[in-house]
Amino acid sequence: MSDLAARQAELVEALTAGKPVPAGFDGFRVEAARVALLRKRAGEVSRQWPMLAASFGERWKREFGGWAAARPTQGSLRDGWDMARDLHSRGLLHGPAAEELAEREARLRYNGNATPRPRRTPALRSAAGAVVVQFAGRVRVIRRPT
Amino acid sequence: MADQYGVGIGWRPEIDGFVAELPGLRFAEVVAESVHAHGDLPAGLSRLLDRGVTVIPHGVRLSLGGAEPVDPERVRHLAAVAGRLNAPLVSEHIAFVRAGGIEAGHLLPLPRSREAVDAVVANVKRAQAELPVPIALEPIAALFDWPDDELTEADFLTEILDRTGAGLLLDIANVYANARNRGDDPLELLDKLPLDRVAYVHVAGGDEHDGLYHDTHTHATPQPVLDLVAELCRRHRPPALMLERDGDYPPAAELRTELDAIAAASGYPAIT
Repeated sequence: MSDLAARQAELVEALTAGKPVPAGFDGFRVEAARVALLRKRAGEVSRQWPMLAASFGERWKREFGGWAAARPTQGSLRDGWDMARDLHSRGLLHGPAAEELAEREARLRYNGNATPRPRRTPALRSAAGAVVVQFAGRVRVIRRPT
Repeated sequence: MADQYGVGIGWRPEIDGFVAELPGLRFAEVVAESVHAHGDLPAGLSRLLDRGVTVIPHGVRLSLGGAEPVDPERVRHLAAVAGRLNAPLVSEHIAFVRAGGIEAGHLLPLPRSREAVDAVVANVKRAQAELPVPIALEPIAALFDWPDDELTEADFLTEILDRTGAGLLLDIANVYANARNRGDDPLELLDKLPLDRVAYVHVAGGDEHDGLYHDTHTHATPQPVLDLVAELCRRHRPPALMLERDGDYPPAAELRTELDAIAAASGYPAIT
């Protein structure tokens, strides 16, 4: 690996994976860039996952920034998906955000490692207060009567 | 671009309706990675092309400044999109966006070193070999510099342009941001750049956080950036200048005001 390649990799790791700032760089400025990058990612994820973002209200950018600080981006669709699954597994995903995840899970197959693909078979997912049914690519959300 | 296009705007799906209704629009740009190489074009983009608006594909993920060779698949995509849009040129950045298999999620600056110049030049030449039209290169806004810069910004850019024959996509807001954050005079850079090589110009807004100016594209264009547009056009007026807005879209009236301000600063006719 060339010197430039190694140094570029070091810098990207400092900005995305919680690694130390490489020697000689202005730590304050690299930190400002790291935070700006997380804010930009939060904005992109909120466009793909509006209900997930809305569930945090004003705290969205900070919460996403905390979750994503040591997780380099896999693209905003997968970033939001991974965060939603993580929250779901800890019982912290509720309401429209849970429905949004269930709807995606019914529509697309995502193994956590590669680009989500449309499901070819019918799927059924339940979320807080709702059931999501996907058949032949069409998705319906059936809410339980309250 | 030989033609005089005047004032344009970056097409984004969120402002599709607004862009479609700009009566004087002759020039727009679209993020190349957001366009399918072979599927249908977004309807709004097709309508612009039908109207005779020139649409430039603007790549953001090629990573021309990466130490590794540029991904041929990404170059093929950019070439295919240029063909679909019948674009007279394409543009990309002098930056890297990934390294060691990790995506940075943003445009990152290069060291202004001989080694970096060689890396960029090699990648631009690889891309040029596959592209059907010329490429214009955009210097980025950087919040930080590398510790071992050997060249001035003007020398760094000029050497890359000279060795590749590429055009310059000058982002005047980036010139402003970098000068402000480094404590330099932006006019000094304008005076040293080969302004006759400018293919077109980006104009955008930003915001200050903790003493650093961030080129966000989500705020209105500040007056000092418009003043720089006027200074640039006094020296050498580029064939086209366009507003870049990438989020927190304001009401149509505010976008029109910004486009009119760019027209006024450059001396081109208003397109609104």
